[in-house]
Amino acid sequence: MNKIKKLTHQTEFYIFLVIIVLALIIQARSDQFFTGNNLVDLANALIVPALFSIGTFMIIVSGGIDVSFPALAALASYIVTVVLNGMNYTGPIIVPFIFAGAIGLACGAFNGLFIAKMRLPALIATLGTQSVFRGILQGALNAQQINTLPPSMKEFGQSSLFVSQNADGVTSMMPTAFLALVVVVVIAFIILRYTMLGRGIYAIGGDESSANRAGFKVVKTKFFVYCFAGVIAGITGIIRACMMNMVHPTNMFGMEMTVIAAIVLGGTSITGGTGTLTGTILGIFLLTMVQNSLIMLGVPAYWQDFMTGLLIIIGTAVSSVQILRSQKQRKPSLSKAGS
Amino acid sequence: MKKILAILVVAVMSVALFACSGGTTPSASASTEASTEASTEASASADADGGTTAGDGNYTIAVVPKDSTNPWFVRMEEGVAKYQEENPGMTVFQKGPAETDAAQQIQVVEDLIAQGVDALCVVPHDPGAMEDVLKKARDQGIVVITHEASSMENCDYDLEAFNYDEYGAYIMNTLAEAMGGEGKYICMVGSLTNDSHNMEADGAIAAQGKDYPNMELIDERIVTDDNAETAYQKAKEVLKKYPDIKGFVGTSSFDAPGAGRAIEEAGLIGKVFAVGTGMPQTNKELLDSGAVSALTLWDPADAGYAMCKLATLVLNGEEVGAGTDLGLDGYDSLTLDGHVLTGSAYITLTKENVDNYNF
Repeated sequence: MNKIKKLTHQTEFYIFLVIIVLALIIQARSDQFFTGNNLVDLANALIVPALFSIGTFMIIVSGGIDVSFPALAALASYIVTVVLNGMNYTGPIIVPFIFAGAIGLACGAFNGLFIAKMRLPALIATLGTQSVFRGILQGALNAQQINTLPPSMKEFGQSSLFVSQNADGVTSMMPTAFLALVVVVVIAFIILRYTMLGRGIYAIGGDESSANRAGFKVVKTKFFVYCFAGVIAGITGIIRACMMNMVHPTNMFGMEMTVIAAIVLGGTSITGGTGTLTGTILGIFLLTMVQNSLIMLGVPAYWQDFMTGLLIIIGTAVSSVQILRSQKQRKPSLSKAGS
Repeated sequence: MKKILAILVVAVMSVALFACSGGTTPSASASTEASTEASTEASASADADGGTTAGDGNYTIAVVPKDSTNPWFVRMEEGVAKYQEENPGMTVFQKGPAETDAAQQIQVVEDLIAQGVDALCVVPHDPGAMEDVLKKARDQGIVVITHEASSMENCDYDLEAFNYDEYGAYIMNTLAEAMGGEGKYICMVGSLTNDSHNMEADGAIAAQGKDYPNMELIDERIVTDDNAETAYQKAKEVLKKYPDIKGFVGTSSFDAPGAGRAIEEAGLIGKVFAVGTGMPQTNKELLDSGAVSALTLWDPADAGYAMCKLATLVLNGEEVGAGTDLGLDGYDSLTLDGHVLTGSAYITLTKENVDNYNF
C-alpha cells in the first residue's frame, strides 16, 4: 500500500499514465499501436533523441543548460565522415565512434571551459558555441550533404538486432544502434546512482555553495558533465549518419527544443537539482510517440504542430501540478520540525 | 520565486534561440573567384546574344536559395557560377540561409538589400512571408526575380522551370505507370505553405482524376519539413495506417527518397512505389534497388543560370515576354502569364539513366 502511495507521488508515474492513455487512444483509432512493427519503429525513432536527452539531462540536473548539442553532433559526424572517406577507410565501426566521441569531447570541453571554469551563464555560452559549431560546419568547412559513407558505417546503419514482421508480411528493422542507447543509459544510470560524482551533480544543481561546502568539487564536476554530454552528442551524430546512410549537416538542428522540453516534461527541474533518468526517458518517449503517431491518430496536417504543443503543455502541467502537490504536503512537516 | 524565474528563463531561451538563429551568418558562398578564371571570349558571346551592348552592365546579382546545404541548391550554385564565368564584368553569387527557414531567409535578403545589389533572384521558402521584404527591395530599385513562387506579387518576374500542374501530372503519369494504373496513393509536401509542392500535388491529383479512374487518392497531405529523416518516419507511419497503399507522390526532393527507404525497410519493393522530385547521385542506390521507382526533376543549375540571365535582361531594359529565349534547353521559348514566365524543363531519372546526371 505504501509503495503505491509513494508511486503516485512521483512525476514519472503520471507521465507513464499519459503515455498509456495516449497509446490506448492511438490503438483505438488505428488498431496499429500495439503491433511489433510499430513498437520497433518507435524504438528506431527514439534512439537519436533519447541519446541526446541523457547528456542534456545530466547538464540540466547540474544546474546548467545546453542548446549546442545538435550543432556539435552535426560537426562531429561531418568531420569524421569526410576524413574517413578521404582516406578510403574500410576498417571497423569502432574507429568512427571513437573519433566522433573525441571530437565531441573536445567540443564539450570547450563548453565546459566557458561554463565551469569561466562561469559564463550556460544558456548564453552554449548559444554562442552553437553558432561557433554551425559556423565552422557551414562557413569554414562549407558542409554539404555526403551521400557515401565508409563501408563499416553503412553496414552498421543497415544492420539489425532483429526484424519484426506483421501479419501481411510488412517488416520493421530494430537497428543495432539501439544497443548504443542501452549502453549509454546504463553508464549514465551508474554514474548518477552509484558514484560520488553523480551525487555531486545533483548536489551542485540543488545549491552550488552548499555542495562546495560539503566538499564536492564544483568546477570539476561541471566540467565533467559538459564533456560527457559532448562525447554522447558526437557519437549520436555518427549514429544518425549511419542510420540515414548519409550525412546531412542541418538535419538535427532544432532538436534541442524537443529534447529540453522532454526533459522538463519528465519531471526534471529546469533550475537543476532534481529529476530522474527514468523521467527523462519517459519524457522523450512520449514526445517521440506523439511525433510519430499523429498520422495514425488521423490528425490533419494543419493541426499536427498544435497537437504536439498541446501535449507538451498537458504533460508538463501534469508534472508541475504533481510537484506543487508534494510541496504543499511537505510544508506542514517542515514547520513542525521547526517548532 | 524560483519557479517564476524558471519560466522566464525558458521564455528568454526560446526567444533568444529564434533571434540567434535568425542572426546566424548564413554560409556565404560567393563565387567571385570564378570571375578571374573566366575568359573574355565568353563575355563577348554573352554580350552578343544579349542583343545590346552590356558594356555598362557591371551588375551585382545575388541568388538566394531556400537552404545553402541542400544539394539541390548546391547544384543551382553551379549554374550561378557558370553565369559569373561567362560574364566576368558582373558580380554574380549565391547566398542562402543556413537552414530551410523563412525568417532566416528574409534576414539574408535584408542583408543583401543593405549591400546594394542590383538584382535579387530569390527561391522563397514561404512566399507570403517574403512579400514585404521584396517590396522593400523593389522600392529601392532592385530588380527582383523569383523562382518556384508563381503567387508572388512583389517581383519583376517569376520564372518557373515548368507549369506546376503539368509537372504534377508528369509525376502522376510516371507513378501510374509503376503502379499499373490502380491502387491507393498519397501525396507528400515539404510544408503546407509551400506553393510549388502543393501545386504539384494538386496537379498530380487532377491528372489522376482525369486519366486513371482505378487509382484512389488518400485525402491527406503528409508534411515532411524538407527533412529526409522526417519523410522516412512519416512514410513508415503511412504504411502502417494504410496497409493497402500502393503509391507515394513526392514533391520535396527528400520525399520520394524518404518513402523509398521506408518501402525498402518494410520489404515492400515492387508492391509499393515512390515517385517524385529527387537528386540523381544522392538517390542512385535507391533507384538501383527499386525502392524508388523513378525520380522527376529539372536541373537546378539551369534554373539558377536562367534567373541570372533574366535579371540581366531586365536590368538592360530589354523586352521580356512570351517567346523570350534565355539560351538554355527548356528555357528557349518561355510563356508569359501575368508576370510569370514558364519554361518546359523536366526530366525523368530511372536506374538506367541516372549515371548521365552527375550531381
